[in-house]
Amino acid sequence: MRTLRLALIGVLTLALVQACGKKEQNQNDSSRPVIGVSLLTMSHSFFQDLSKAIKAEAEKQGFDLIMVAGEFDPARQQNQINDFIVKRVTAILLCPTDSRAIGTSVKKANAAGIPVFTADIAVLAEGVSIVSHVASDNYQAGRLAAKAVLEAIGGSGKIGIIDHPEVESVILRTRGFMDELNEQREKNGVEIEVVSRLSGGGVKDKAFKAAEDMLQAHPDLDAIFAINDPSALGVVAAIEKAGKSARVRVVGIDGMPEGRKAVRDGKIYAEILQHPQDIGRRAIQAIAAYLSGEEVPPKILIPTSIYRQEDAKKDPMLATAK
Amino acid sequence: MRRIQILSDYGMPGVLLLLCLFFSVVTLEEQHPEGEDAANRVAPKIAQQVPQDRPLVIVARPTLRDQAFARTAKALLQERGYRVLAVIHGEPPVIRLRLQALADSAAVPAALVTVPDFRLPLQSIQTRIPPLAQIPVIVPDSYRWPTFLLRDNLINVVNQIVVIAIIAIGMTMVIITAGIDLSVGSLIALSAVIAARLIAGMGGTEASTLALILASFAAILACGGLGMLSGVIITRFSVPPFIATLGWMLVASGLAYIISGGQSIYAIPDRFVWLGRGTAFLGIPNAVVLMALLYAAAYVLMTHTVLGRYIYAVGGNPEAARLSGVRVQRILVFVYTVSGLMAGLGGIVLASQLKSGAPTYGLLYELYVIAAVVVGGTSLSGGEGKIMGTLIGALIIGVIQNGMNLTGVETYTQKVVLGLVILGAVLLDKWRSRG
Repeated sequence: MRTLRLALIGVLTLALVQACGKKEQNQNDSSRPVIGVSLLTMSHSFFQDLSKAIKAEAEKQGFDLIMVAGEFDPARQQNQINDFIVKRVTAILLCPTDSRAIGTSVKKANAAGIPVFTADIAVLAEGVSIVSHVASDNYQAGRLAAKAVLEAIGGSGKIGIIDHPEVESVILRTRGFMDELNEQREKNGVEIEVVSRLSGGGVKDKAFKAAEDMLQAHPDLDAIFAINDPSALGVVAAIEKAGKSARVRVVGIDGMPEGRKAVRDGKIYAEILQHPQDIGRRAIQAIAAYLSGEEVPPKILIPTSIYRQEDAKKDPMLATAK
Repeated sequence: MRRIQILSDYGMPGVLLLLCLFFSVVTLEEQHPEGEDAANRVAPKIAQQVPQDRPLVIVARPTLRDQAFARTAKALLQERGYRVLAVIHGEPPVIRLRLQALADSAAVPAALVTVPDFRLPLQSIQTRIPPLAQIPVIVPDSYRWPTFLLRDNLINVVNQIVVIAIIAIGMTMVIITAGIDLSVGSLIALSAVIAARLIAGMGGTEASTLALILASFAAILACGGLGMLSGVIITRFSVPPFIATLGWMLVASGLAYIISGGQSIYAIPDRFVWLGRGTAFLGIPNAVVLMALLYAAAYVLMTHTVLGRYIYAVGGNPEAARLSGVRVQRILVFVYTVSGLMAGLGGIVLASQLKSGAPTYGLLYELYVIAAVVVGGTSLSGGEGKIMGTLIGALIIGVIQNGMNLTGVETYTQKVVLGLVILGAVLLDKWRSRG
């Protein structure tokens, strides 16, 4: 028993030492600025691409990184920022888990003289200072999505939206979507009616259920706009289950590999591509510029683009990854 | 046998100490002095490196501590006969402009003086202003000390687990009765949202202190009420605690989303952060003081009162307890009510820390709370457990999470390590009690 116990203690200590030791060497090098990064999550290919781009650009600029994720928990992210402040990082880059609740932490970083930047999701709390916010132009993405829907179903029809209204970026997307629809309605006289708007929580399983209900309630639906890829894929599954693949068109926003594949296979009509690589790169560049005393614009918007079946067929990402 | 006795008395505190020791060693790093301390350290260093009556420029960021640094450094340096050409305060772009202006007016200082935290940005600004590129940047010397043991960080550790630790008080009692309460995570969200909503309704950012207190109590009582209902359902209808509280978990989470409309509610006056962020006593956060008081009260309740003994008795053998005159059902309703109240209080503390209430709060907290209780040595089969053990358990979890954040362990790895440590602690405990 005692040997077992000792072995267990040994293994646990090793696990801790391994985990903590790995990052240790390069952090003691005080000649490189350390950037504390807290993302929304790591379990979404958007944020994985974002984090890769952040790592690559940080390497180029000579920054060390501490990269963690709040995993949708505002309290956890608050703790991570408090730890950054104790660590005295040179700058902080955030994707807030909650645009308001993060305010108290940002205030603390401000008081400690640590400049704060945000990527993808903005801070909406009052009385805090954010040097620069780098994000997809979500409003423009929403407008593009509306264009894609019109393109898919022609001048008239009934559509539904799978929403996730808790998140600021999604609010902008749906606002852009509605503005474009209204504009088209006035200008070109298209007769598009949004008959249903349900929350899919931004995740596949909930979007699937929401889309199922939507299809039940509105059997004559022509298209569904899903505010991100997991939602769009959930919608596709619901449409397939209802046997309505021929009738109902889907438009999503994101450009995850799985979403792109669905576009290639004709299951999703079009995706509005975000470019997380550009967001990550520009965010780190903004930090570097600011630290060397350059003026940085308070908002850096990264444009999105429409991605249709013909784009998917030429997409190198799909040629290599099946 | 004696060694085992010692291990079982001091096992978990020992693990906690070892963890603290471990993180102290791995976070032994250069610490940067700040404020007046930094100024006191930099003056003699300049005296060694720069001849007297040479011009100097002091550069500082726009924070209170840096201002104190600049003020004190200027006074000290002038005392020693140096000429302070300028004190530059501001964000990097401002500093760059001012330095450029200095260079343009051909007033080139002999050295730039700043705080260690700003050395790297200042050097990078400097290289972009050719006349200043070669001038030394002088900062106070750093000293080596574990980041983990910094006062700010130790407060961080406790502050980070304060919500979990408070809720774990109720959970310990529930688990001692051989039950479980899965609803606490959702109750956090519900309590935060109810309080925030009530405050928003009673004047929002203009709400009076009385309104803040009333709203908080209403939210806590509502959660206590839900806890009591759990207890009633469990006792009256013999529903297993797992199922009954699972139901309330969904109900409470749904209610939180309904009440808040899925949004976070932030129309709350600044004074509301008093509980979560304020310090009224020796610089210790008020929430931590509250936690300590609650633990003291719970300790007395569990070890020195009849009620406490009954709770253990119900968990050990409910039938025997009933036969010896304990009103088992009342005891059970009591512990679930306490658990609900504590979860409600935890929600208020969290809302106060984050100055807003949102239905996303408390995600998976029930699992962390249960982990804290179990790591603290309370048996899931009921009848045994210590309140203070739970506090140690919560601290162990807090120390591990904080330590891994400080050493830059990635999120995924953090989960694996935390899970292993919880498993390891429980296995150790099993072996210990078996001898």
